Amino acid sequence: MTANLDLTGVTRRYADRAVVDGVTLSLKPGEITALLGGSGAGKSTLLRLIAGLEPVDAGTIQLGNHTLSEPGRTLAPEKRRIGLIFQDFALFPHLTAARNVGFGLKHLPRDIAAQRIQHWIGMLGLSDRAEAYPHELSGGEQQRVAIARALAPEPDAILMDEPFSGLDPALSGSVREAALSAVRAANIPALMVTHDPAEALENADSIAILSHGRLLQCGAADDVYRRPSSLAAARALGSVNVLSGTAVPAEWRTLHGPEIGVRPEGVLLDAQAPVRVRVTSRRLTGPLVRLALEGPGFTLQSLVSHEAAPRTGTETGVRLDPALTFTFASE
Amino acid sequence: MELKASAFSAPAFRQIPVLLAGLVIALPVVIVLVSGLADGSGAAWTHIRETLLLRYLIGTLCVLVITAGLALLMGVPTAWLVTMFRFPGRGLFEWLLVLPLAAPGYVLAYAWADLAGVAGPLQAALRDATGWSARDYWFPDISSLPGLAFVLACTLYPYVYLTARAAFISQSVCTMEAARSLGASASRTFWSVALPAARPAIAAGLALVLMEAAADYGAAEFLGVPTLTFGIVRAWKSFGEPAAAARLAFVLLALILTFVIVERQARGRAGTQQSSTRWRQIPRVDLGRTAGMGATALCTTLFTLAFVLPVGRLVWRSLEAGGQGTRVWDALANSVMLAGAGAAFAFILALIIALSIRAKGPLATFARIAASSGYAIPGAVLALGALAAISVLPVTLSGSIGLVALAWVYAVRFTAAGTEPMAAALARAPKSIGHAAQSLGASPFRRTFAVDLPVAMSGAAAAALVLFVEALKELPATLMLRPFNWDTLAVRAYAYASDERLAAAALPALMITMAGLLPVILLSWQISRARPGGPA
Repeated sequence: MTANLDLTGVTRRYADRAVVDGVTLSLKPGEITALLGGSGAGKSTLLRLIAGLEPVDAGTIQLGNHTLSEPGRTLAPEKRRIGLIFQDFALFPHLTAARNVGFGLKHLPRDIAAQRIQHWIGMLGLSDRAEAYPHELSGGEQQRVAIARALAPEPDAILMDEPFSGLDPALSGSVREAALSAVRAANIPALMVTHDPAEALENADSIAILSHGRLLQCGAADDVYRRPSSLAAARALGSVNVLSGTAVPAEWRTLHGPEIGVRPEGVLLDAQAPVRVRVTSRRLTGPLVRLALEGPGFTLQSLVSHEAAPRTGTETGVRLDPALTFTFASE
Repeated sequence: MELKASAFSAPAFRQIPVLLAGLVIALPVVIVLVSGLADGSGAAWTHIRETLLLRYLIGTLCVLVITAGLALLMGVPTAWLVTMFRFPGRGLFEWLLVLPLAAPGYVLAYAWADLAGVAGPLQAALRDATGWSARDYWFPDISSLPGLAFVLACTLYPYVYLTARAAFISQSVCTMEAARSLGASASRTFWSVALPAARPAIAAGLALVLMEAAADYGAAEFLGVPTLTFGIVRAWKSFGEPAAAARLAFVLLALILTFVIVERQARGRAGTQQSSTRWRQIPRVDLGRTAGMGATALCTTLFTLAFVLPVGRLVWRSLEAGGQGTRVWDALANSVMLAGAGAAFAFILALIIALSIRAKGPLATFARIAASSGYAIPGAVLALGALAAISVLPVTLSGSIGLVALAWVYAVRFTAAGTEPMAAALARAPKSIGHAAQSLGASPFRRTFAVDLPVAMSGAAAAALVLFVEALKELPATLMLRPFNWDTLAVRAYAYASDERLAAAALPALMITMAGLLPVILLSWQISRARPGGPA
């Protein structure tokens, strides 16, 4: 079964404070949606609501046309067929890797379950570690066992709570690759909670931004990055220069509008441009150089290639890349 | 990198205290083992071996098996209930269920024998309610092997309850949630995830139950159940052959060791370390009306059987007698003096060992192992060791020598219980404070006195209290080594109960229980505060 996982007006209150507030979200099969937000934004609570670990106070959660949660009625987590992957993997310490993977296959005949275990263990490259106990596995191996365990029962949807944050950064790239391709291949709705915009942009098909329990924006990763619906949504995915009122140079006011947000990589150095600035600082950030620019009544951050970066004190012109420049109606 | 302090900065003389502490503790154990092996083959031993040994062995095994089973049934489900669910009285039961630990087995045996006897209130109430006469019905006999196991389980199950509860609390909530998301029902989650993960902790609690049950003398003797410990005291008392008693002790020690090894083997390779590092307050599930009442009823029943009924009976009996026919004040004074001396001795040894743990030398390890084996060995056996040690010295067991020997036995038996709170206090302090002291120019000597000692002392009050009360409750060794006509509360309760004067035994028994409540309440206060992952 491949069906949409639909959240409609989902709300959860703790002592009158809404931690998740009217979230409406539709997750499509075969698509990974990143749920992005800072700490306390309600990401984990939303995940627990979908998993059935907590009841909703308002709204509904549906899988296809099957209602999982509504106020006063919560289908037990074990009856939902929704896989969960935890930040700390939560492997059963007393079971081998293979038996961890087989935990959710108790309803199957023994030989079929064994085949299924083999399949998933092999798929995540764990064949030679099948009989090891969790404490004998490396972090990356534990993560892959957790993913195989969640996918083996062929769930109707999968939820991942910061699945890669517990891993060594050097390792997480390859593990992520293996893990997410397995999740995509399962062709079910997948939700990945993360606080890291880079991880969300790089790995997810769509991004949902949560702030103080509310959904700020949801859409394809590219759209959300280039066309944020609000300044807060724009900031959730990376830094933004904001110019408003008299600080906006006249040329840009006619070109872009009275309130401007622009990503640092959208601030382009152009010696011919009419808006003039001076470079006040120049810092390496790794792949790019971050410049602080000072113009008449405004300052800007710009990210440029090493080759294009002028020295501190240089005077130059700037223009804005329209694709990375946003205007907001009222903020 | 950690500097090996013992390698160069600790001269040999600094190791002398811990070596002495280890020797003082190990001596009686070694003496018993050697004398049991070497010269235990007298006429009494032949008699015991041919007529009694099998009975003792089977008796002990049966008592241990039934006690263990009952303690598991009492301790594990209640621990699970109070940890994972909400039901009326949950917060109260969480610590009430620890209280039965306060009353020693023999006190509970006296109270239950009085309660459940033909003339006792339970049977009287049954007769009143039904109009039957005493011959018309069957009533469980507390003076039997199952009766002994029941009484011991009632006072010892809190060890299982405490360790199981700690394990359930500290295990990752995520693991249980993962199980449920994989389709496991709440009961399968318990049986196949929570319980296996808690198994080592439960086994540790059960090991304490088995050690204490094997060490019990007072309850077994009073209820007339032949066990090895009972046999050891009897061999010494009736046959006057310490060596034969030592042989029996040898069998008992072998039995205890077997339990430990079997458990280690059964655990195998499976991990128990929680891979989860993220903690969250356990979201307790509301049990609802019917199941909630069931949980409340279960906890109430257990607490009533193990504490309210027997202790209530002692209170009733003491009030009824109004102090008539009971001499307790001299015994109380003796108890306080002796337990104080024993606790002080044990405290010093425990402090030396706790301070040496940091140094990690072989001597420190030796002293620690000696202390924990001392804890596992019944008081009756240690008393034999002390007697054997005295027999080679140019003194006789009379008057104050007996008291010194008793303080020694208490120290051997209970030092481990005192080491623990102080070692825990030291462990809580960051390792780096020692290095900080060194980097500030403190000598190892000054470091010990100016840094480690004050830190360890923060656990000292708890340690001293535990040691004092344990010594106060001790019966078999006290019985064997005390000077003639010099009674403690425990001995006085025992003597009255043996004379079938239960009313007179009630007051001293009650006093011991009240003293026992102090460290138990301290303990339950501590566990109700400490929780990894709780709000810091």
